[in-house]
Order: sequence, then C-alpha cells, then structure tokens
Amino acid sequence: MKHALIAAALALLLAACTTTTVNEHREVATNLKLGSAEKIVVLGRRHAGHYETEPDFIRCIGDKLNGVPNVEVLDEKAFIDSVYPWFEPRTAPLKLARLEYLLREPLLASRIQQLGVRYMIWVDGNTETTESSGSVSCAVAPGAGGCFGFATWDKVSNYEAVIWDVDDFSDKGRVRVDAEGSSYLLAIGAPIPFIARVQGEACEGIGNQLRTFFTPDGAAQAPTP
Amino acid sequence: MTRQAVIKRLRTFATLALMLAAGCATNVTVKGDFPPPLSRPLPLHGGLVLDDKFQSHVYQDEQNRKLTFAIGAAQTAMLRSLGGGLFTRTSELGSLDKASGQDLILVPSVEEIQVAMPFETQLKVFEVWLKYNIAVYDGKGEPVADWIMTAYGKTPSRFLSSDEEALNQAAIVALRDAGARLLLEFPRVPEVQAWLQASRTVGAAP
Repeated sequence: MKHALIAAALALLLAACTTTTVNEHREVATNLKLGSAEKIVVLGRRHAGHYETEPDFIRCIGDKLNGVPNVEVLDEKAFIDSVYPWFEPRTAPLKLARLEYLLREPLLASRIQQLGVRYMIWVDGNTETTESSGSVSCAVAPGAGGCFGFATWDKVSNYEAVIWDVDDFSDKGRVRVDAEGSSYLLAIGAPIPFIARVQGEACEGIGNQLRTFFTPDGAAQAPTP
Repeated sequence: MTRQAVIKRLRTFATLALMLAAGCATNVTVKGDFPPPLSRPLPLHGGLVLDDKFQSHVYQDEQNRKLTFAIGAAQTAMLRSLGGGLFTRTSELGSLDKASGQDLILVPSVEEIQVAMPFETQLKVFEVWLKYNIAVYDGKGEPVADWIMTAYGKTPSRFLSSDEEALNQAAIVALRDAGARLLLEFPRVPEVQAWLQASRTVGAAP
C-alpha cells in the first residue's frame, strides 16, 4: 500500500511537468549593442479587453536580461510613470510608426533620451487556467482536521516579445513562447500539491532567448536558472 | 431573565447581525498615487472647481452587491496632480462664482460609475468605468463646453489578494486613463478648440 502511494506520488510529480516551445525570429544577424548609457525597458501590453500581461512576468523577464553583461533594464512602472500619460493602456503605441509619431513630441523624446532608453521590448500575452476538475474537501473538528480529495487543473501560457529599436524605429526581432502544464492536488489527510511552473517556465524560455539578442557576440550564452 | 440581560442579548445579536452583513459587503476607498504629467500646458490661467460633492463622491450599489466605492478623494488627487500639465497656471476654486482672473474654468462632475466583478461578467478581470461631465466656462462665467469624458480601468482577478484591492487597482487605472484623456484630448474638444482659436485671434488683434 505504502509503495503504491509513493509510486502514485512519483507518477503525479512527473506528470506535473511543463512543456515549453520557444520560437525566435531575428531581423538582424548580429547581436544588439547597447552604449554605456543606453538601457532596455520591458513593457507589458494592457490594451486588450479580457486579459493583460502580468507585471510579475515583465519583472521576471527584466531580471533575466539584467544578468547580461552591460545590459541595464529600467523598471516598467517607473518608466510608465515618468512618461505619463504617453504609455497608458489607451495611449501606448501599438506599432512602430505610432512610436515614431509620438516621439515627434519634443517633451517625450527628450524624456526618453534622458532615461537612456534604446530598446523597448513589448510583451503581449498571459497565462490562464484552461481546465480544472476534481475537488478537495477539508473539515475541522475539536482536536482533529484534515482534507480529502483530488483536484487537477491545466495552465497555458502564450507570450510574444517584440524588440523595438528606438534609435531608428526598427523591429529587431521577436520571440514567442508557448508553455502548458497540469497541476494536481492530492489530499489524504494533508493536501499534497504538485504544481507545474507554467508561467515560470515561459519566463525562462522567453527570457533566456531574449538574452541571446543582447549577449556580446562570441560570449557564452549561459541560461539563468 | 432580567431586562438588562435581555438588552445585553439583543445587543449581542445586533452586533453579530451587523458583522454578518458587513462580511458580505464590499467597501472600497480608492487610494493611489498619480505621477506628475509630462505634457505641454496651455498658456492660460486655468481654474479647477472641485466642490465638496466631487471631493467626497461615493458610488453605492445597494441592490445586488452591497458595494460602496468611495472615489472622491482619489479623483480629486488625480485632478490636482494634473494641474500644471493642463495650464501654465492653475487655481483651485470652491465654486464657479469664486472665479477671478482665470481664462478657462473646468467644473468636473461625476455622471456615472460602473463597476463589474468577475462573477458578473465571467471574465477574469475587475473593471471600473467612469463617466465625467467636464463643464468648461470662460473667465466671465459663460459656458464654453460640456465635455462628456469616459475612462476605463481593469485589473486581472488573480493579481491581488482581495476584491477590494483589485477594485482599487482598477479604479486607479481608470483615473489614470481619465487624466490621460484630459491632458491629451481637452485641447481637441471642438468647442474648446474654437474658444482657443477665438482667444488667439482676439489676443493677436492690434
């Protein structure tokens, strides 16, 4: 009985894995260069009606890129606040031509230059729970308590990152990541979760791929853990 | 049972009933910070009438959701933060008749507020719609425009720990949206545009 439970737990642990697919498209063969005072800003798309790209996902990508030598990433909220009202969900440029038009406003152009923004990385997408089933019930009585049941849910992450060069208003490349995984919660007395890190895996996939755009040519491209 | 004991029991019962009722209600007092705007102000002395009703506005939905949404202080803070981005000089006024020397006076009022929660829309977002009437007057108190301005904000349900926090966040996004529209679209409102054109013509006349 004990062995059967361990085997079931191991089977669930293995099943709670995430499958990640990363696709990349580069507009230029060489890696992207940053001057000493130049920075990157990673921004989430928030204009769609039913979802918005999660701020913690944007922070996660920023942390991945910050690990690349000579790369400095600006905080998303600090950037949006410093250029208010030009990068709000309603006003943020969706296309490069619109960014070019916005930067004809001298105040905004001067602020972007002052902040040293050379590349804008726009990330669009989200993570959602697509299916869930099962149930777990918990009860508490004087001196005792516990949970019993089984629940499972699937999560899917779809994100696309586009790199814009603010200097010449060109698209330098894009990375798309699709990740999916199932999580389980087994409760026999105490609940035992087997959580698939779907969004975390998506961040690692997209973050590590974006790092390769900025890693100096010839340097080792070690992925971050 | 003595009379005092009955009163004590009734009080306990009333307190428990109130606690139960409060547990079902959603009370939000919108709080947040608004960044200073990056915009080119109109070269005018503007007046901003923020009356008590506007400053203490509370939206209440007693019918279905027992929702109380106090947005007055936050919308006042948002408009105060915009002042320097709208006009080169801005004065805050308690009422329109206190105006003296301003070129344009803005009197904002709340027309409508709508709040939607995930259990109502089946979407995984909290949403807030704001509808303002920005009444615009010239320095003599003559009406220039009635601009109906709407703003929208949303926040995904799973970002935040409670309904109150999520609604607060959605309201802040909506107020920032209102600020953005005011800064960027106010000079393009046809009546305001016509007034600005006329005032320039008068100013340029010998």
